[in-house]
Amino acid sequence: MVIKAVWIIVLPIIAFIIGVFFLGLSRKVIARIHRRYGPPIYQPVIDLIKLMNQKSISHGRLFDMGVILSLAGSIVLVLFIPFGGIAPLSGSGDFLVVLYLMLLAPLGVALSGGEGANPNISIGISRKMMLSLGYEVPLLFSILAVMTYYKTTSLVEITKAQQHLSWGVIYLPLPAIAYFMILPAMLGIRPFDIVSAPQEISSGPSVEYGGRYLALMTVEHAFHTFIVLALFVDLFLGGGNPFTFFVKMLVVFLLGLFIHAVFPRFRIDQAIKYCWKWPSILALAGLVIAYVVA
Amino acid sequence: MDRTSIKKWFKAPDKMGHKYSLWAVYFCTGCGIIEVPPVITSRWDAERFGVIPVATPRQANLFLITGYVSLKTLKAIIRTYELMPDPKYTVGFGSCPINGGMYWDSYNTIKHLDKYIPVDGWISGCMPRPEAIFIAVTHLWTMIDKGMATGYIKYREKYRYYRQNQEKLFGKLEWPPLYPMEDKNG
Amino acid sequence: MQLITILIVAFLGAGIVYLIGKISGKARDILAVLASLIVVILVSLAYNQKIYTSFYPLPFLNLSLTLRIDPLSWFFAIAVAGIGFLSILFSLEYMKHYQKLDFYYSMMLFVNAGMLGVVLSADFLSLYIFWEIMSWSTYLLISYKGGKAVGAGLKYIVMSTVGSIAMLFAIVSLYTSYGTLEFSSLASLLQTASSGYILFLLIMFIIGFGIKNAIWPLHTWLPDAHAEAVSPFSAVLSGILVRIGIYGFVLVMYSIVGLNLLHKLGYGLLNFNYILCWIGAISIIIGTFIALLQDDDKRLLAWHAIGQGGYMILGISFGTTLGIAGGIFHTLNHCIYIALLFLVTGAVEYRTGGVRDLNQLGGLIKKMPVTFIGGLIGISGLIGIPLTNGFVSKWLIYKTLIMEKHPFLAFVALIGTWGTILSVYKFLHNIFLGQLPEKYKDVKEVPWAMRLPMIILTSVIILFGILPGIPLNVISGIERSFGIKPLSTIIFGMPREIGELNIINILAAIVVAGVFIYLIFSLSTRSRRVNQYDNYAAGSFIPKDKYQYSVRFYDPVYRIIGPYLRDVVDDFYYWLVEKSKSFFQGVRQIYTGNVNTYALYILLFLAFLIITKIGWGLW
Repeated sequence: MVIKAVWIIVLPIIAFIIGVFFLGLSRKVIARIHRRYGPPIYQPVIDLIKLMNQKSISHGRLFDMGVILSLAGSIVLVLFIPFGGIAPLSGSGDFLVVLYLMLLAPLGVALSGGEGANPNISIGISRKMMLSLGYEVPLLFSILAVMTYYKTTSLVEITKAQQHLSWGVIYLPLPAIAYFMILPAMLGIRPFDIVSAPQEISSGPSVEYGGRYLALMTVEHAFHTFIVLALFVDLFLGGGNPFTFFVKMLVVFLLGLFIHAVFPRFRIDQAIKYCWKWPSILALAGLVIAYVVA
Repeated sequence: MDRTSIKKWFKAPDKMGHKYSLWAVYFCTGCGIIEVPPVITSRWDAERFGVIPVATPRQANLFLITGYVSLKTLKAIIRTYELMPDPKYTVGFGSCPINGGMYWDSYNTIKHLDKYIPVDGWISGCMPRPEAIFIAVTHLWTMIDKGMATGYIKYREKYRYYRQNQEKLFGKLEWPPLYPMEDKNG
Repeated sequence: MQLITILIVAFLGAGIVYLIGKISGKARDILAVLASLIVVILVSLAYNQKIYTSFYPLPFLNLSLTLRIDPLSWFFAIAVAGIGFLSILFSLEYMKHYQKLDFYYSMMLFVNAGMLGVVLSADFLSLYIFWEIMSWSTYLLISYKGGKAVGAGLKYIVMSTVGSIAMLFAIVSLYTSYGTLEFSSLASLLQTASSGYILFLLIMFIIGFGIKNAIWPLHTWLPDAHAEAVSPFSAVLSGILVRIGIYGFVLVMYSIVGLNLLHKLGYGLLNFNYILCWIGAISIIIGTFIALLQDDDKRLLAWHAIGQGGYMILGISFGTTLGIAGGIFHTLNHCIYIALLFLVTGAVEYRTGGVRDLNQLGGLIKKMPVTFIGGLIGISGLIGIPLTNGFVSKWLIYKTLIMEKHPFLAFVALIGTWGTILSVYKFLHNIFLGQLPEKYKDVKEVPWAMRLPMIILTSVIILFGILPGIPLNVISGIERSFGIKPLSTIIFGMPREIGELNIINILAAIVVAGVFIYLIFSLSTRSRRVNQYDNYAAGSFIPKDKYQYSVRFYDPVYRIIGPYLRDVVDDFYYWLVEKSKSFFQGVRQIYTGNVNTYALYILLFLAFLIITKIGWGLW
């Protein structure tokens, strides 16, 4: 019980550190791919400190509350996803709960942005919704394949079943590939950074965010990166102890980053069509196989 | 550069934060913007010093006025400047914002930018080299350190002066005053 | 006696309200609220009782009309009474500017009384009688506003009559086969019936109840009717009246036919449950994705009512403990949040002069915060955001689908949820968020008589979302009465052997995280409050009334999926009507309306009879 309580406090801190580390790492790695020197790896921390000290603007109560809800949703989610076998709250919610808790963060942004009363925000959120409708199709196929194959909806048991190198990716290669193909869309990086396209809609939902709002959104983004990667590792790469778990996350993240660094951006309709074509076909095939095998 | 000095970070985190995370609003006022792409991409890489361009003034704290300022642009500059969160720093880039430069007798270009918004520093030249931007940034660091980059405070305190100058040029402005119009220091 | 009192109060209330209305408007209003409140109290007093009374022995057919109350009928009765009371309370202010209010209130009470009769009756004959009372008074209320509403009402009543006839067909056949119409005796008599007969009965009842419940492909009356009815009645219509169909399904499938017989229907994948599941799944897809294309807020909600009906069918058609519990619980949840959402649209209409077009509204959150919170919680329930009621029921349904190894159905249900998110966010955004148009500058929050029902429904959504054990306890009582293994519940979620769901931990985690972030948030540099015009517009000052993105909110998706999402069934029905016109023209040639022709027909018929008679004799 005490250990659990300690983990409940420690795990979000670990997730925060890893998430912010990934943010810094991504800037450094992209810079190196661009043949630049790049910022120091702790640059996101500097940015956060600066943002907390800026005098920003607010459009109303909901504008504040939405941002808080969004970050709170992400932090809570961390407690439900096993990190190297540690998931202090996994007994209170299974994968279905996780799927639904993943809605809190975008809902918070959507509400807060709506109060922001800027069409750029509305367009950004509308794109976010459409993009998520796009990538949910292959995502749902692949996670249903996992749940069907392991005959459980509990993330802990899915991870447990993959110990000793019997990773999900070996038994369910097609859903794993499909999940990896939509990983950039879930992370909001190129070629799917349609939502926050700075050149088209002035960074979309965060047009009106400055100062502490942007700081909280940056932290939310860090948590979100952590969550998406952790889910991938849990579902297909067999979990592991905290250290190997982190290494696996790092590998997946770097692979995604290499795509991010060199690709241009899709248009939103291209992105939806892409999501509904190849990843969906692969994931559906994987689901059919899992349905027949299991 | 004292970015790695932990002691200073604990002493004045806000100052250090503002120094090493200068986000410039990506606003092309004139020909000088041509010098910015090399600065932010691989040739000179301003991100080394934490300087990145952002798309919206709400997130920015550095405003580079790149090149001549026509009347139409000035309105947008004022609007953008007012949207930026405090503390914010303005740098005039090139000769034209300083005194009109080669547009000294143009009917449609303003000659002294600092009559309309406060400017913290100037980079002279036509065009200045990209390296000059880095020199400006390091100067700005020193000014922030010493508490000299106070343009945004000046704008608040002498808002009446700036607003009057703006309205002399444009007539009545569409937006209400940002600060109360009473003057503190006359 | 108690049940008869409930019905007497309900029906007499309707009559008296009409008569009093001729004398004084105020007294009528008070009496209408009072009558519906008394019904709520009387029904809630009947909790956990088992009563069976025969109230009128028919002098013919050897039948008597009977009433009963058991967990299932109590569950639906309290929902009927509650929603009816709240919508009448809402009507007090909302309906002020309408004509013929005596008629309106009396009909509202009549609909409620009819629904109560349906859920309380213990034999098919009284069920059918109350069913017809309900259907006809609904028709009168749908077409109450006149204009377009008349067409919508006509569409409703034509389809409803088809359903009633199908149901009557089944009832008559039951009577001729078994000589009784009481549920309890039929339940035991039917155990020996052949599968073919059971299938016939089920199909007939599914047409009857399915038209009310608007399952695909019998749904086409619903969007028009919901959009054209007055908003408080839309709440009743969509909230509970449509869901009487689910009551019928549950009653026929589990209370009368029973689980054992159901599982024997069909072979392999072609069995009854599975086909019904897919009908539910198609309803989900059609309903939620056509809702995405709607610009009229009530029509958008109406399509969601069809889609959510699919979830209920999906839940109840499996016949497992979890599935039935999920389906019935979702029925209750749906009736709460959709009623709330219709009341919210009603409140918006009331203050903006009847604007229903989502493209013309915006920014009302600053003017109508209570209504906004109602809308927010309502859509959260509709999506199933954790801590609202819709979450638990949807969780039960998904869990059933995955555990029963139907991942494709689970996919449909889950993707339906994502379609729901898109369209309801558009609903909320286009009404309440974004820029407030100049013409709504002086809009005020709605009066208390309208606020109160919304606040009550909102708090019920939160209550059932955090403490799902309360309604699930009643539902496990229903399951016990069917002879199915009852769902074991704990107050905050599910016991461990069913699955990992503990709402209180989720709530605690969210609250603690929220408070922690709020502390950090308020400790950092304060922000400055600005109005909606102080906004980023690429360097210019924003143009008033021209800085809102709401028309064709999801344009790229419309362009991709729009061509596939026509309501083909509706088109088919209209095509059928067009084609059959010529046939009925032909029929009209026979019925000329001329007495002489009819006399000729009679003469010819008699001659035919005589000739056959004589011919027969000669043979």
